[in-house]
This record gives sequence, structure tokens and C-alpha cells, in this order.
Amino acid sequence: MNHATRRWALAGLVLVLVLLPVVGSRYVVYLTVHILLLGLNAVGFNLLFGQTGLLSFGQAGFYAVGAYTCARILLAWPSLLPGVLGGTAAAAVAALVLGYLSVRHTRIYFAMLTLAFGMMIFSLAWKWRAVTGGDDGLVGVPRAPLELLGLVVPLPTVERYYYVVLVAAVLGVVVMHRVVHSPLGLALRAVRDSEVRAAHVGLDVRSLRLVAFTVAGAYAGLAGSLLPPLENTVTPPIAHWTASAEPVLATLLGGIRSFAGPLVGAFVLVVAKDVIVRFTVHWSLVLGVVVVVLVLGFRGGLVAALEGLALRAPRVQPAAAGEEGG
Amino acid sequence: MRWVWVPLVVVALLAGASWSAAGPATCALGVPTIKLGVQGAASGPHADYGRQIEMGAQLAIEEINAAGGILGCRLEMRFMDEELRPATAVRNARFLVTEWGAHFLYGVDSSGSAMALGPVLRELDRIQFFTHAATHRLTEELVAQQKIKQIVRVSAPVYQDAVAAWLFRDRRDVRRWATIGADYEYGYATWAIFREQMRRLRPDVEFVGAAWAPFLTTDFSPHIAAVMATNPDGIIATPWAGEAVTLLRQALLQGVFDRIKVWFQAMGGSVDVLEGISQEVKEGRFQGKLYATARYIHNWPNTETNRSFVSRFAKRWNRMPNYSAETTYSAIYITKAAVERARSLQTDRVIAALQGMRIETPAGVRVFRSEDHQFVYAVPAGKVVWDPRYPIAVLGELKVFDPKDYWRWPPFRPLELSK
Repeated sequence: MNHATRRWALAGLVLVLVLLPVVGSRYVVYLTVHILLLGLNAVGFNLLFGQTGLLSFGQAGFYAVGAYTCARILLAWPSLLPGVLGGTAAAAVAALVLGYLSVRHTRIYFAMLTLAFGMMIFSLAWKWRAVTGGDDGLVGVPRAPLELLGLVVPLPTVERYYYVVLVAAVLGVVVMHRVVHSPLGLALRAVRDSEVRAAHVGLDVRSLRLVAFTVAGAYAGLAGSLLPPLENTVTPPIAHWTASAEPVLATLLGGIRSFAGPLVGAFVLVVAKDVIVRFTVHWSLVLGVVVVVLVLGFRGGLVAALEGLALRAPRVQPAAAGEEGG
Repeated sequence: MRWVWVPLVVVALLAGASWSAAGPATCALGVPTIKLGVQGAASGPHADYGRQIEMGAQLAIEEINAAGGILGCRLEMRFMDEELRPATAVRNARFLVTEWGAHFLYGVDSSGSAMALGPVLRELDRIQFFTHAATHRLTEELVAQQKIKQIVRVSAPVYQDAVAAWLFRDRRDVRRWATIGADYEYGYATWAIFREQMRRLRPDVEFVGAAWAPFLTTDFSPHIAAVMATNPDGIIATPWAGEAVTLLRQALLQGVFDRIKVWFQAMGGSVDVLEGISQEVKEGRFQGKLYATARYIHNWPNTETNRSFVSRFAKRWNRMPNYSAETTYSAIYITKAAVERARSLQTDRVIAALQGMRIETPAGVRVFRSEDHQFVYAVPAGKVVWDPRYPIAVLGELKVFDPKDYWRWPPFRPLELSK
């Protein structure tokens, strides 16, 4: 796919997303917010997984730190921007601290450490009733207005809030695109491919891993902090390890080697579940089968498979087609 | 331009994710059918509660439709798995109302889900009849304080567990109480209201120990050992569903029933728990020391309404009705009564029609409490016994107390929760 076609496709996609509240139902808009939140989380996660080669099972913890911090801020000071920025910053700080302890290890040890830290945050959310509301969570979080440069934008409807999430998601994706294609992204891939070689050329492997971990945590926190204004509630299950599996699944489905993979995976995962639960209460079984089929059938991810199709197609040149026709 | 199809596919899939609920009006209320969105836990270890919600709802709908519907309008149900996850419950509610077109909502099992749904119901402006979630905060905070009028609870809240204090108030030999509590709000609230009531009724009792078991605990032996070390006369336990069965079996294995005088299992009158311990009850292994309550018990009250309901339920599903089945069944009949009185599906009119409602249901007479939209009714407590007339263990030696005695009443003051 050449750049011009890619730009047209992206422009079309953005146009669809911008027009969605006009052409789609309220539920489709709501569902798309969830796709964007998972997509944002998964894009951040893939900096760690696809680019740096570290599989974290604790992203839900940072998502929850962002969500709870944002909720507490909004309950005390109903203004969206401080809530979202505060939630993102808190998640980044948590990721920096826990990352410092985690990136000393790699592979299964790293995965287990992140799982343990994630579940520690889940336990805190469950037990620290004075701050988190315990198992009932924090209820009645306002969808506070967006106050920026003296401008106050009220967000009473999901449709209006959708645009806030869309802008945050687009900014997040653009920034991540720059990061992945920057010297930092190259260095992370060098660490992923051979940490010994990376160290020998002078890269600080542990610091680079910590940067990736912190950025991924910040992205999870940003996605998490955009949740309470949507749902008006934050509850502990968002911090559970099963929630950590969602960005992992989305990334695997879409493809870890493709920048768009986590976004496509998030879309497929959310829509597939939403459609399946309408037809059966045994949705988890059906969704599991669908995921297994997709992962086995599209090794390397859906985006890689689609790109493979696109690459095969140009081999049929007009002249060749004429020869075949003859 | 091969990639241009990407946004088109996105549009098609998003469009496919929704379908219109519009259609020709065919009944007196101006809709083709009255749509009832129902949620309950349908997966995981608590799935039987959701299944019972679904069975209760379906039975009520079949009966009402067979009798001509509500003002000539047929009822239609859509059931969804709540997964005991608040985020899922909220998403389901949004789907059921904004996509499927539900006029009323029913369920849910989890208190966390109930609390998360509250603010969303106000936004959706749909009445949800809560038929299991028991947290007192749902009605005390969200309705009485925050005035979320779309919340109506048909099932008994956590207040029901305070009946234990009244059940044992005359047992002078039971002075030392301990709890094996669910390590979340339900367990804390039960222990708090039980102690509050007991202190009032029996100033001589002592609360000697507490052990808290997290959700989905499978090994209760450390909790049992910790509580037994305090040498209690009575134990009040709040793990529920399959966890209650596991806890009781492990207590038997550890010889607890040889050393205590009474054990009160808060929701032990639930059908799934009674089914799980039937063999042990039949063999007399609890030595007549096991007591329980629930939010409805199928062998009480001895009214034609209840006997008929239990008989029809058992015939339809080959199961005894659990409390979540009865509460959902009754909620749909309450809807029928309110809509017939309001002659409208509009939220404000239906809520107005609920004011002052007093309705006969299988669980007995339910009375609408306008301050917090809680239906008040009595559920007895009793001893878990084997009765050959039933296929499972039942509650016997039932004692009924007036909810005025042990429920919380407005104006509400915050409940002090502590371990």
C-alpha cells in the first residue's frame, strides 16, 4: 500500500469516526468509546510487548490507577482535564515505580512480576474502602465539563463525550506513532532483538525498558482516566488480571509487529464480544473459539494477514492478466 | 485504492452492531410488544442465580402473555449475562435500552453492578427492578439521598440478615458470637447490622471473633480455625452460593458442629445451597444446629399464591424456585400492576403508579416504601431440616418477624462498617 492510499484510508476512517454520532445510534457511539479506550491501552501496551519484547500481565493495574485517580479528582473538583491529566500522571508514576522493580527481569519472571503487581493494585482497590469505596467502588462520578483556556464545554451526553475520547485517542496514537518511528523506537527494537548487542553498542537496556514500561503505563492510565466520566462509576474488576488480558488479546489478534495491529484487534475483540453476547449466555465459550480461530488462522495478526493479501494482489499486473486471459 | 474499503468495513460492522427497534404499533400502549431486559450472572460459580432470574422472568412472561398480556400488549424478554462485573452490567443496560428498546430492566446479582447501574439508569431514564443485589446503599444513598427515581428494589436488602438477632434473642445459652464473613461490603454490613440489633436485644452477648474470606475462597479452613480459637457459641456466616456449601462441608470436617450451639448461614435458605447440603442434612450431620434465611423461601408463606407459584415453577423447570426467581417473577407482576394503573410506559407515570402499592406475591404481601423505592415484605428464618415432602432440604421451625423490627427505616443514617 503506498502512502497516498494509506492517507486516503486514514482520512476516510477519521471521517467515519467524526461523523459517527450523526450516523450511528447512541449505543454504537458508546461501544466505539470502549473500542477507543481499549485501542489506546493496547497501543501503549504494544510499545512494551511488540517493540520492547516484554509481556506485561499488569496493565489493568495502571488502567485502574488512572480510573480511580480521575474519579477521586472529579468527585472533589468536577473539571475533566485535571481529572484525566491527574489520572494519567498517577498511572505513569505507578508504572515508573513498579517498572523499576520489574524491568530487572525478562520473559516469564517479568510477566509474573507484573501480574503480581497488578493484582496488588486490585487488592488495594478491593480493600482500601476509604479511598476506593471497596467492592462497590466509587459511584456518582460526574461527567464534568471540559474547561480549557477559559472555554467551558459541558458534556451531558455520551455523544459529546465521545469527541473528547476521540481527540485523546487520535493524539495518543499520533504521539505513539512518532515514538515508535523515533530513535527511541529503534533503540527499543534493538533491545527486543538482542539485549547483549544493544548493550554493546552503548544502549542502557534497563533504562530503555523502564521508559517503555512507564509510557505503556501512562497510556493505560490515560485510557482508564477516560472511563469514569463515561460510566459514572469505578469498580475493582477493572484492575483484575482478566482485564489485563484484554490489551494482550487485542494486540495478539491485530498483530504485534504492526502499528495498527492493537487498534484493529481492539475493534475486533469488542465488536465480536458485543455481537456474541446478544445470541448466547455461553458467550465466553464462543468468543474463546473465535479468538483461537483468529489467532491460529491469522498467524502474525489480522493486519499482517490483510497486508499479505494486499501484497499478493499487485503480482497480477494488467499485462499478466492479459496473458492469462489470452 | 484497495485500502479504501477499510472505513467501509468499519461502517458496515458498526451498523451491523445495531439494529432498529422501531416497528408498527399494535397494542393499547402504542408499542408492538413490551420489552423486558433482564440481567443476571449466567457464567462462573454463581451462574445458578442468573439462571433462576431468567427462569422466574420467563415463567411470569409466559403466564401474563397466556392471559392476554398487559393491556393487550404482549411481553418480550431478552436475557443477558451480567458476569458479576459492573462494567458488563452497565454495557448490557445501555444495549438493552438504546439498541434493543427495553421498556423495563430487571436483575442484577452483584451489588457492585447495582451501584454502577444507578447513575446510568437516570441517564437512560428507564426503571430497573432490582431482584437480588442487596447493598443497602442502593436504596439509601442512590434513591433516598441522590433521588435516582428509576431504581426500584423488589428483593429484601441486606437488612434481612439482621433477622438472626431476633431468631436467637431468647437463646440465653448462646452468648459468644463470631462471624466468618464475606470479605466485602455484604459481609461487613451483615455483621454490623447483626451486632447493632443483638446489642439492643441482648446486652449480655459478646462478639468474640471475626474471620474474613475473600470472594471465591475455596479453602475456609484457616478462617474456621481462627474463629473456633475464640470459642464461640454461635457463628454467623455470609459466604454465599457454592462458597456457603464449601464452608459448611469444611466446618463439618473440622468438627465445628460438635463445639458450637448454633450456626446461622445468612443466605443459606437459597435453593442452590440447600441442594448442595441436602445429603448432610438428611444424615443429621449438622445436629440441628444449622439455621438460615434467604430473601424468599419456597415453603413459606403457606398461601395459595405461593403454593401455586412453586407448583407451576417446579412443573415448568423441574427445579424449586430460588429467591432470585421469585423476586424477578414478582417484579414482572408488579410491573403489570403499575403499567395497568398508569396506562402508560412512561417512567414518571409508572413510578407514580407504584406509590402506595400493596401487592400479593408468592413471598407474601409486598408494600412499596416511597422514600427509597424499596418493597418491604417479611421472610422468615428457621432451622435447616429434611422434609420428605420436598426433594431438597428446607427451612423448618420457621419464625416470622415484622420487618418494622429489624429493617432499617428512613431517615437513614450511615451504617458504620468495620471488620
